[in-house]
Amino acid sequence: MINKALYLREMRKSLKLLVIFLAVITMYVTIIIEMYDPQTMQMMENFYEMMPDLMASVGMTPGSSSLIGFMISYLYGFILLIFPVVYCILRGNGLVAKYVDSGAMAVLVAAPVSRRKIICTQLAVLLSGIFIMIIYSTALEMLTCVISFPGELAFSQLLRLNLALLCLQLFVGGICFLASCLFSDAKYSIGFGAGIPALMYIIQMLANVGGKAEKAKYFTFFTLFDAGGIIEKTSGAYAGAALLFVGAAALYAAGCVIFCRKDLCL
Amino acid sequence: MDTIEIRNLTKDYGNGKGIFDVSFTVKKGEVFGFLGPNGAGKTTTIRHLMGFIKSRSGECMINGLDCFMEREKIQKILGYIPGEISFFDDMTGTEFLSFAARYRGMTDTEKQKDLLERFELDTKGRIRKMSKGMKQKLGIVTAFMHDPDILLLDEPTSGLDPLMQNRFIELVAQEKAKGKTILLSSHIFEEVERTCDRIGIIKNGKIMTVDSVETLRKRHMRTYTVTLDSSEKAKKFAKDFSGIAEGVKVTLSSMQSLEDIFLDYYGGDGNDK
Repeated sequence: MINKALYLREMRKSLKLLVIFLAVITMYVTIIIEMYDPQTMQMMENFYEMMPDLMASVGMTPGSSSLIGFMISYLYGFILLIFPVVYCILRGNGLVAKYVDSGAMAVLVAAPVSRRKIICTQLAVLLSGIFIMIIYSTALEMLTCVISFPGELAFSQLLRLNLALLCLQLFVGGICFLASCLFSDAKYSIGFGAGIPALMYIIQMLANVGGKAEKAKYFTFFTLFDAGGIIEKTSGAYAGAALLFVGAAALYAAGCVIFCRKDLCL
Repeated sequence: MDTIEIRNLTKDYGNGKGIFDVSFTVKKGEVFGFLGPNGAGKTTTIRHLMGFIKSRSGECMINGLDCFMEREKIQKILGYIPGEISFFDDMTGTEFLSFAARYRGMTDTEKQKDLLERFELDTKGRIRKMSKGMKQKLGIVTAFMHDPDILLLDEPTSGLDPLMQNRFIELVAQEKAKGKTILLSSHIFEEVERTCDRIGIIKNGKIMTVDSVETLRKRHMRTYTVTLDSSEKAKKFAKDFSGIAEGVKVTLSSMQSLEDIFLDYYGGDGNDK
């Protein structure tokens, strides 16, 4: 299904990016988890009971008093969303459209290796990177919590949460991959591959502000990743994650089919 | 069955760009010169043969296999030099050649070494830093290293110095002697003259003529008959101007060089309108 020589070459290229991103994730995840203090959280909860309206208005709801709630508020809103997304954008574009644009794709197609095999290899490289990031983050979160706050974190909750995060990142990867297969011009590939996720994230930020802007959440796929809902096991949150996963599969399939059929002007 | 068969191949890119109703064949063991001005459709035709693009209508086949649908089978026995060479810039020449061999599943790198020596190519540097000529040499090595039966060469000597161009012509002649089928697009008349059996000339996406080098020359021969006062004078005249004397008449012919013939076809309304 994949060409080993090509996979190894591309993974070597991914590695440089992954090392940097994993280092940044390591720094943020450990520092933020260390900042969690159950006593402060208990105090916050007491405050909330005394004056619920005032506390809610500044976004401090008791949901975030547990360790997992704290992590959702401070890690799953930005760090663990953005870094994998940036990886998907860079590699998604670099694996296909960049080679077609520069003409280096000629090296790959002018050999007895089918386009299907080429595109499956490139897809495997993209997916490997996403999996490495999410698995590494999960292991790191577990380790940090075990060391600093033994017994505070339910692993099953974290695993469910990161599985949903994986679905989200696979979906973002799908957008970048499809854009990369669709356009022969790196300019458009990166424009759509980076533009759509960035726009969606901005809409998500807008929706977070609340009020009338909350309706904006219907226009962004980030809404389908409902971290709180996953912890509470709501069916809506599960359906959202499933939808992201199915969408991702469809995007990857479409990208592969397009690449196999398209005209390559090399 | 001809090795390369192109029948009524059409790919219209609009604005008169593209190729229209292109037909020609290349027999096994033949070297076919493919000539035409810039933008005439040489590369587009070769892209079809490589299975990079689908034709709008018509068909192109190599060894009886459809070039787009069965490209993997064809690629096993095909060598290709692209018109515009672009490799993985981040690799060194050595890394690239070893990657290309592994990617193809090639085990025998003997021919690769021979080619590197023949073209005096130093592969230590990064491809990004290589000159046009060095990249071209690397392209030649990649196209010939797996000893393919069929070679599609799109302006293979561009960027090479005259010495290396000569070595390339020698290489083509050797491969031809081994019975390889070669399609060579070129701008260099000497290269075509020395290597090609037949020539196809394309202009504005249409094939103008396909003929052997000799026939092309003959067709463009101009003949004059001069009448002189006496057969005596006629004989002398014929000797001086290498004509043929017949009584008082002398027949003279001027042989156009291949270059002039090409310029005849190249000229007129250009491609760049």
